[in-house]
Amino acid sequence: MENELALLNNYLVVGAMLFGIGVIGFVSRRNMIIIFLAAEMMLQGVSLSLVAWARYHNDFGGQMFVVFIITVAACEAALALALILMLFRASGSLDIALWQHLREANQPAYVDEEIPELEVKSPTWPRLVPAGRQPELDRSDTEHRPSV
Amino acid sequence: MPTIVSIVLGALGMWLLLPRPSLRGRLAGAALAAAAAGLLAGQLPGLAAALDQALFSILAAVTVASAAAAVSLKNPVYCAIWFAMTVLGTAGLFLLQGAQFLAVATIVVYAGAIVVTFLFVLMLAEPGARAAYDRLSWEAMLSAVGGAMLIGVLSTVVGGLLAGGPAGAAAARGEAELAAGVLQDGHVAALGRAMFTDYWIAVQAGGLLLLAALVGAAAIVSGGRSPAAPEADPRPPEDQPPAEEH
Repeated sequence: MENELALLNNYLVVGAMLFGIGVIGFVSRRNMIIIFLAAEMMLQGVSLSLVAWARYHNDFGGQMFVVFIITVAACEAALALALILMLFRASGSLDIALWQHLREANQPAYVDEEIPELEVKSPTWPRLVPAGRQPELDRSDTEHRPSV
Repeated sequence: MPTIVSIVLGALGMWLLLPRPSLRGRLAGAALAAAAAGLLAGQLPGLAAALDQALFSILAAVTVASAAAAVSLKNPVYCAIWFAMTVLGTAGLFLLQGAQFLAVATIVVYAGAIVVTFLFVLMLAEPGARAAYDRLSWEAMLSAVGGAMLIGVLSTVVGGLLAGGPAGAAAARGEAELAAGVLQDGHVAALGRAMFTDYWIAVQAGGLLLLAALVGAAAIVSGGRSPAAPEADPRPPEDQPPAEEH
């Protein structure tokens, strides 16, 4: 059926996009919590394509795979958050670059060239409502027109 | 039955929209009327497919856009919020594919995961992107180009395979067969039957994996200390008097 084929293609493209965005976040971000979220996002992309295949082949196997992906994601969350907690205790920061001495032996160290400035917003003050007695207006002031 | 519901909803919405002495509830009326129009349009044979397509487009756009926001925003709190939006969009796409159990399970499991992630962000991260590592990334351009190429290769290869290759047995399958298979009414019952007959070994392995992850997480957080060998206590024992007491 042409329609089912188009549906499968759409879902696979969306799954690939989720996976690719997850890969970009996983390799480029430096906050360990965001790296964890990006890994979960890759799992979501794979789950989406598996569900699409399950519908296309009219078989529950793909959906069963997703059930086990959710199980593995739960295990991964438990282990990853425990590891993040331990690494934070050891270094006092969520920066993954503090652990770059685990890289390969002959790789040069990564040094930040420039740290972008933190843009500080000017504080917004509360607007004060007018209070007290309303001043009396001179009627001749308000009704007088200097020129006609 | 959906036709009657949509007509009743539409009448209620129009009543709320019409000018009356009290103008309250006009927004709710507009929402009700729009929902009724959508429900009625879903009944029409020609429009149902287009509506499905539109629903898919909206859900896919929301999912992908919130995924991009989740990995690219500086403040980790916003990243967690946008990741929750991604999970909701994925659950909607699951529901659109007829995987109702998976949609609900995804929301339930990831709700817990996201709440715990929030807790971690609040405990550990520096708020408002104040940390330098939130404002920097490794090789941003290189990773963006690599990820985009990955997406491009995956989608063109998949599109080419589907367009050129034999569509397989699924090509000849009709709606009736789908309605008796993955899209049947007793979806959850059929999924459970498949899970506990064809895949019961995998279910056992999954349970074992969860137990191992639990034990592993506890072992990691306790830092490898065992109760038999407690750490050396820096304080002197209490039953001995201190040495320099005069």
